[in-house]
Amino acid sequence: MKIVVDYDRCEGHGLCEEKAPSVYFLDDAGDLHYAFPDQDVPAEQEAAARAGASVCPVAALRAQ
Amino acid sequence: VNTPTSVVVVGASLAGTSTAHELRRLGYQGDLHLVASEPGCNRPPLSKVGLRVGATPDDLALPGGQPDVQEHRVDAVGLDPAGQQVLLADGRTLGYDAVVVATGARARSLAGVGQSGELLLRTARDAERLRARLDGSRTAVVVGAGFLGVEVASACVARGLRVTLVDLEPPLLRLLGPWLAARAHERLRRAGVDVRISPAELVGDPVQAVRLADGSVLHADVVVTCAGDRPETGWLAGTCLNDPRGVLVDERGQTALPSVYAAGDVTRTATAGGTHRRPFWSNAVAQGKATAHGVLHLPAPDRATDDYFWTELLGEPVKVVGELPLVGDPEVLEEQAAGDVLRWPDGDGWSVVAWGLKRPVPRLRALAAG
Repeated sequence: MKIVVDYDRCEGHGLCEEKAPSVYFLDDAGDLHYAFPDQDVPAEQEAAARAGASVCPVAALRAQ
Repeated sequence: VNTPTSVVVVGASLAGTSTAHELRRLGYQGDLHLVASEPGCNRPPLSKVGLRVGATPDDLALPGGQPDVQEHRVDAVGLDPAGQQVLLADGRTLGYDAVVVATGARARSLAGVGQSGELLLRTARDAERLRARLDGSRTAVVVGAGFLGVEVASACVARGLRVTLVDLEPPLLRLLGPWLAARAHERLRRAGVDVRISPAELVGDPVQAVRLADGSVLHADVVVTCAGDRPETGWLAGTCLNDPRGVLVDERGQTALPSVYAAGDVTRTATAGGTHRRPFWSNAVAQGKATAHGVLHLPAPDRATDDYFWTELLGEPVKVVGELPLVGDPEVLEEQAAGDVLRWPDGDGWSVVAWGLKRPVPRLRALAAG
């Protein structure tokens, strides 16, 4: 499973980080840093990655 | 108490789909029906990208994608709590062990009986119609200066329209309190928005102007009503839940009727000062999840409601954690050219506002905790 991040959509709400801090992190400028770019999410992080993606209010994160 | 094996969610709102997703995440494997004549849509983009260039289906996708449900593309027209069934517009009925009322709210209309051409903004179709009308328009009157009215006025300014914003109270005063409302008013004024404090009556059939308290009539190419919303409870007629103030729920979405739950914009919750609605995005998600716990007879999750809220004013993001409105002067936590971070005392903690700055909610919550 991969998470596709649309950085142009991201508005820095940070609800993903709140849900899954091991997968998503927003820096002080509100910019998103995703832990597993261009690779499959490690199996033990899949549930967290999905949970974080599922609370994005602007559809910037998509599980694929 | 038995675990349900048939759950009906009425309304493909954010709260309804959040409930459905959470039920599955919690391991519910029984029948799950979703009753809604229209597919759901994520509403925050409607007043933003939706009015700038038009929202794409991707823009309006509800978080989490399509839940694992059996869909019924039809309206629910009644609830029979004694017989535990939902009545559908096509004459069918759906029996349930638990039902979730997630029918949301509708835009409040100011049009007179039979008066045509009122523009509202609630649904994807409303946004598309309004955007099309803004194309080629030069003037707009926005009636209602709450969050939606100010967002619509902002979109009109961004498109170069001359905007008049009318409300009984100064913009955002009732929602944000006097300090931030004064800032909002000043920003709007500097952007050339003509703010009028007055009742407004829609004029024309189709609507083409508004009449103010002093008798003056403001004509505009586009007249938009942004006068709040009304809980969609009419289909519950004949039950005690058909209350125009919204369906009262507890922290797990339980209503006054057994096996009947509700979540999102259709609800209100009890607080120290009476009951009130929180018709905001984050709260619809939080209530949906909490309601799934209620349906499965599980304890309420840590956060059964959510006080995170955001809006946009003339392109500036405004993010709020905590109770509103805000009274008195804030403490300035951070000040930059683009904006600032402010906080007000709120009970044991703080209400925190980031204005003009992209501050993620975990940071705001940390500041709100002290």
